[in-house]
Amino acid sequence: MRPFEGAFATSAQGGKAARPQKTAPHNESKILPSIAAAIDACELKDGATISFHHSFRDGDRVINQVLAACAKRGLRDLRLFPTAVFPAHAEIIDHIQSGVISRIEGSMNGPVGAFVSQGGRLAEPAVLRSHGGRWRAIEAGDVHIDVAFIAAPQADPYGNATGSRGKTPCGPISFSTVDAQYADKTVVITNDLAPYPVYPMEIQQGWVDFVVEVDEIGDPESIASGTLQLTKSPTRLRIARLTAEAVIASDRFVDGFSFQGGAGGISLAVTKYLGDAMAEAGIVGSFGMGGGTKLLVDLLHRGLIRSILDGQAFDLDAVESIRQDPAHVMIDPGLYANYDSRGCATYKLDAAFLGATEVDLDFNVNVNTHSDGQLLHGIGGHQDVASGAAITLITVPTLRGRIPVIVDRVTTVTTPGEVIDVIVTERGIAVNPRRDDLAARFSDAGLPVRPLAEIKAEAERLVQPIGRPVFGDEVIAAIEWRDGTVIDVVHKVEGWE
Amino acid sequence: MEARIGSDAKGDCTAIATSESGPKLSVTTKAAELLETGLRTIAERTLADLDVADASIELADAGALDYVVAARIETAVRAVHGDAAKPIVPTVERTVFDADRPRRSRLYAPGNNPRLLAGIDIHGADCVLLDLEDSVPIGEKAAARILVKHVLAAVPFPEEVWVRINALDAGGAEDLREILLGRPHGICLPKSESAGDIERLGSLLDAVETEYGLPKGATKIMAIVETAKGVLNAAQIAAADARLVMIAFGAEDYTRDVGARRSDRSLLFARSQIVAACAAARIQASDTIYADVSDDEGLAEEANLARELGFDGKGAINPRQIPAIHQAFSPSAEEIERAQAIVEAAREAETKGLGAVSLDGRMIDKPVLERAERLMKYAETLAKGGGGRA
Repeated sequence: MRPFEGAFATSAQGGKAARPQKTAPHNESKILPSIAAAIDACELKDGATISFHHSFRDGDRVINQVLAACAKRGLRDLRLFPTAVFPAHAEIIDHIQSGVISRIEGSMNGPVGAFVSQGGRLAEPAVLRSHGGRWRAIEAGDVHIDVAFIAAPQADPYGNATGSRGKTPCGPISFSTVDAQYADKTVVITNDLAPYPVYPMEIQQGWVDFVVEVDEIGDPESIASGTLQLTKSPTRLRIARLTAEAVIASDRFVDGFSFQGGAGGISLAVTKYLGDAMAEAGIVGSFGMGGGTKLLVDLLHRGLIRSILDGQAFDLDAVESIRQDPAHVMIDPGLYANYDSRGCATYKLDAAFLGATEVDLDFNVNVNTHSDGQLLHGIGGHQDVASGAAITLITVPTLRGRIPVIVDRVTTVTTPGEVIDVIVTERGIAVNPRRDDLAARFSDAGLPVRPLAEIKAEAERLVQPIGRPVFGDEVIAAIEWRDGTVIDVVHKVEGWE
Repeated sequence: MEARIGSDAKGDCTAIATSESGPKLSVTTKAAELLETGLRTIAERTLADLDVADASIELADAGALDYVVAARIETAVRAVHGDAAKPIVPTVERTVFDADRPRRSRLYAPGNNPRLLAGIDIHGADCVLLDLEDSVPIGEKAAARILVKHVLAAVPFPEEVWVRINALDAGGAEDLREILLGRPHGICLPKSESAGDIERLGSLLDAVETEYGLPKGATKIMAIVETAKGVLNAAQIAAADARLVMIAFGAEDYTRDVGARRSDRSLLFARSQIVAACAAARIQASDTIYADVSDDEGLAEEANLARELGFDGKGAINPRQIPAIHQAFSPSAEEIERAQAIVEAAREAETKGLGAVSLDGRMIDKPVLERAERLMKYAETLAKGGGGRA
């Protein structure tokens, strides 16, 4: 594993990996009666790598079903390669304990991350990648997938599949297009087997080996997991207002402006404020970037942005909009974020506002661990978006309860300070010393620009210092940068000081 | 005997003091490895300051800041130990009172709500009002005044900070004694009805300031006029005491008192009376709060009306109301231009040795010139960041 050298330090080498060619007999049926049958047909063996997408987020039912079937078959030492894992997948803990799973490559949100943080659970350190990083790793052959399992809200018997139609649409399932094309075997699992042909063909028949119909693949109500409400907290609204005003004061807030927010409460509020400001200024944005939400869809309908580029729906309004509006463009994570490509969409962003668990005085950002050293969150698109956006703003409160968010050194470096321009807190705006140009514009606009160290000190005066984890030598996870280098590792917590 | 103070709401803690002989300190919190040591430190320091070596305390934390922990423990201990516990006298840094500062917005915060108090200083209001009266239930008055005292000391307020105490015969005197240890810029007296009410408060302040070794006259008074009597006595109230720097109008109570239906019309007399009284006494006037937080248009309309009538500012019950209020009470670009023209015309007239000042063929008489000069000064203060930045 190569160490991180810089956000844009390395270049792609060689060509892409290739899956085995296959010549299918004329019009042979791909339908199998059950997941168990698919596992057999794929000749899944001990130690294999199996992959999944997370388009149903905390409402997903496929990962658990497939793992249960693998366990029943007596399979062991599998390498789990999901795009992300949620609290709904807590059963993974049982499978790790029983030996069905011994390695995980992918983000772990919640209980699985907490479990892995205990150390000694997996045969190798978990590997976390961003959306773009995972795509790159598959194309480069860094991770070889034996079987890709693709949950599809609608599929035809020949394997064409989509996420935007069917009984339980979840929005784009384009996270899996790379899995489908590079895995040795690709299995589509659907709860709505429809007559041929199903479209749009997010997953294409030519990539698919088998199709299985099941009763349940996921709960679309749960795709909005966690964070889809506009915040009401006065502190967080203040952060959102300052963020919007900072963006407006920058030199990027002109016709053709593009932006991305996450789906957190602060981001949604920023999106709303920006939308209103664009309406007032008569600015039409070139695009808003997903995850798609009702808020973004509203901006599109109001004519304030010309398009939405979207790889993941965070609510049902977004699902519906993707289905019927050509200006709501479905993009896969490769187009969105792949470092080893001829140019990804995040590079066209003017502004992005993202969250963090911690930030440090060098503007490094942590989104993976908390100050207690627990690995609880995935990277998502954080690294990709922060690298690409002309102005990257991190929106954080100075304190969460008694825990300071601004620290001397982040517990884990997810995204390096060199691509972070601004940190917006309720107590003021800190600008990376690399961006004096922005600092000047913000000051001229009357925004409260302050040194980050000063904001940190002000917050620290309100709480006693917190205890610090003492880390041992055991590495429980590696954090990859977009280019496959390792930017940081997470060690096991051995004690406290 | 047991006293249980605080709550398990986010940002608060619960402190239980018992008369059981200690010393005993039990601390429960999430993320104990991160937080328990710090909580113990603050608890022990608080108990030492209270001078109760044998106290028995149970502390259950829900993410409370240090000053909340200290306040809850102090309240619980004093409830159980009475005079054996020494009230905490915090160290306070307070900005010097500036009579001419802009007071466009007056942001209320409920005095016993740690979550809403945290960060009350960041919203760019001109004034913050920590409330011990209507927003605090009867059973929580002691907890509120001690919490407000700690807030006054611990929070780095750039704003002017006031405390609305209870009526003097309903706990206000106790409020005063406690919160003056936190040295607010001033005290808001609810239901101010006569000069006598203000004088009474003034005497109390004299006594407590002397007792606490505070500079005499340092603590200012804001009279909240919200009854028919108060409105009718506005002129006397405004002139009652040198400490009085502002009258704030309370429309809700007033409307009820006179039996009117609330409208611009039914409040016109009261508003005009207060404005005139304040102008005559050369103090500031602040309009009533606007209760519908989600109605931005209604707020802006009412704020503009208040400005038209001559108010200097308006109350706010939610930070999101501040920008609209500041917009209504800050001089517009046109107003500033006009005032500048008048001031320049006056300067020109003086250099030329002319007796009268004229601009655009009109005579500018003294009051107009004075008002223009005041507006220029006010605009300058705002431009230099002298008010809050919402």
